[in-house]
This record gives sequence, C-alpha cells and structure tokens, in this order.
Amino acid sequence: MISKIINMAERIKDAEDRLLEALFESASVADDGFSVTVVRKIKRRLWVRRLTLPTAAIIGGAIAFKPLSGVVAALSGLASLLPTDTFSMATSAIPQLQSIQLETIVLGAILLAVGLFSVRMLED
Amino acid sequence: MSSSEDRDLVARAVSGQDTAAFGELVRRHQSHVRNFLRKLAGDHTLADDLAQDCFMHAWDKLHTFSGRGSFIGWLLKVAYTTFLQSKRKSKRYAEILESAGHVADQESRSTVLPSDEVTDLDKFLAVLTTEERAIMVMSYACGLSHREIGDATDMPVGTVKSVIFRGKQKIRNSFDIKDHQHG
Repeated sequence: MISKIINMAERIKDAEDRLLEALFESASVADDGFSVTVVRKIKRRLWVRRLTLPTAAIIGGAIAFKPLSGVVAALSGLASLLPTDTFSMATSAIPQLQSIQLETIVLGAILLAVGLFSVRMLED
Repeated sequence: MSSSEDRDLVARAVSGQDTAAFGELVRRHQSHVRNFLRKLAGDHTLADDLAQDCFMHAWDKLHTFSGRGSFIGWLLKVAYTTFLQSKRKSKRYAEILESAGHVADQESRSTVLPSDEVTDLDKFLAVLTTEERAIMVMSYACGLSHREIGDATDMPVGTVKSVIFRGKQKIRNSFDIKDHQHG
C-alpha cells in the first residue's frame, strides 16, 4: 500500500518535470553490431579462461618435470640410506609393497595432489 | 520489454553460460545504457567504449542480479560504476602526467563537444555534478523510479529525491526554463 502511494506520488508530475522529460528524451541508439561485438568479446574471454588452466598445467608440468625428477631421485637416495630392517619390517606385513618402488609412490602422491588441486581450480 | 523475459534470459545466461541469451539482453538494453553513458560522459566514442566494458562487467557479475528490481536498473548501476571507475582512472592518469610535467587536460578535452553540437540538454547537464547528472538522467531519460535509482546509486530514496530537487533548482537558477518552454 505504502509503495503504491509512493509510486503514485512519483507519477504526479508538474510542467517542469514534463519539460525535463522532453529534454532528456533521446532517440534510441541503433545497435549497429554493438551487441555482436560484446558477445564476441565474451566468447573470446570464455575461451581464454578455458584454455588458461590446461595451458598453465602443461607449461608448469614441463618446467617442473626436471626438478621433480631430481627430487624423486634424491628421495629414493634417502630411502636407500634408511636401515633395510626398518623398511622391510614396515612392509613385511604387506609383501606386495616390497615390489613397489618408492619413487612410484612419491610420484603418485605428487600427481594426486596436483590432480586434486587442478580439479579444485576447475570447480572454482 | 518485459521484466519477466529479462529474468528468464538472465537465468539462462547464468545457469548455462549461454552467450546467446546474454546477447539478447544486450540487444534489448544497449540503447538505454549507451544513451545514459553518452549523457554522463558527454563523448559518444568514450561512452560506447564504456558501454562495452559495462556489459563485460555485467556478464561477470550476472549471478549477483537478485531479480528484486528491474534488470535495466541493475544494468545502469553497473554502467554508473564503470563510468566512475574510468573517471577515477583518467584522473589518476592526468595526475601522473601532471607530475611528469605535462599539461593534464585529457579529461576536459574528451568531454567537450564542438560548439555546433552542444544541445540545450548539454547546457543543462553542464551545471550539474556527476552524481546529480547520473540521477537526473536515470530519472528523466531512463524512467527509473526513485527506489530503483537508490538501488543503482547506493543511496537512500530520500537522498535521491533531494538530489533531483537540487538538480532541478540548479537548472532553474541557471536557465529561464519558462522562457525556454515557450520558445
């Protein structure tokens, strides 16, 4: 009710209001390809966004490959320093584990972390 | 231009990133937005560039449109924000130029129209501040209600009314409206 009264009050215009309305009135602007340009820009931006993450992942992966393989090699070197008894005791419960290389486990963990992070980024 | 159709198009554009639905929204409202920015900026080329930026921002923020008010009201809010941001940027740019020893009259140069293109409306708008101009244009050119203008400018309805009153008074004091009215 109150909003209706407010709207009615707004609609009551004096001569000055009508004059201002007539002055402010302007012909509608022809589209002339404006909307097409906007949509084209948006599509381009969508493509750029879609391509950014995979491209960054590929470039990042390529850059990180060498240092990562160095880390994996260093970790496997560290593992060899561990007393063999400790490792064999830990894995003796599951004999299949002994056959799995430590490097594979580390690499798998890194890939899993990167994968989860990428999925999270894509969701965002 | 039905507001329910606008809401449907917004829903389609938001849910499926449907650029065709958004394109339809642009086609429907480009004239209002461009006219609003042309009156605000006083420069058609600059206004059309700002209108493009406005629609790009609108695409990014479309999910924030609650559907409570009209879509054109929301769009003019985005347009007004885009205009203010651009004005701030050009002011900063002018300050940098000035500090570097250049004469900084970029902004004034871009808003001045050739004397033969200056209309009565341009003369009226020239006596108003940016805020008054925006509100007067929203009210008299775009037909927005005081509430919609309040939403668009983040102002209470009472303030909107007093700005319009002040704007009208300025125009009245600067020009003889009655003489103008009778030719």
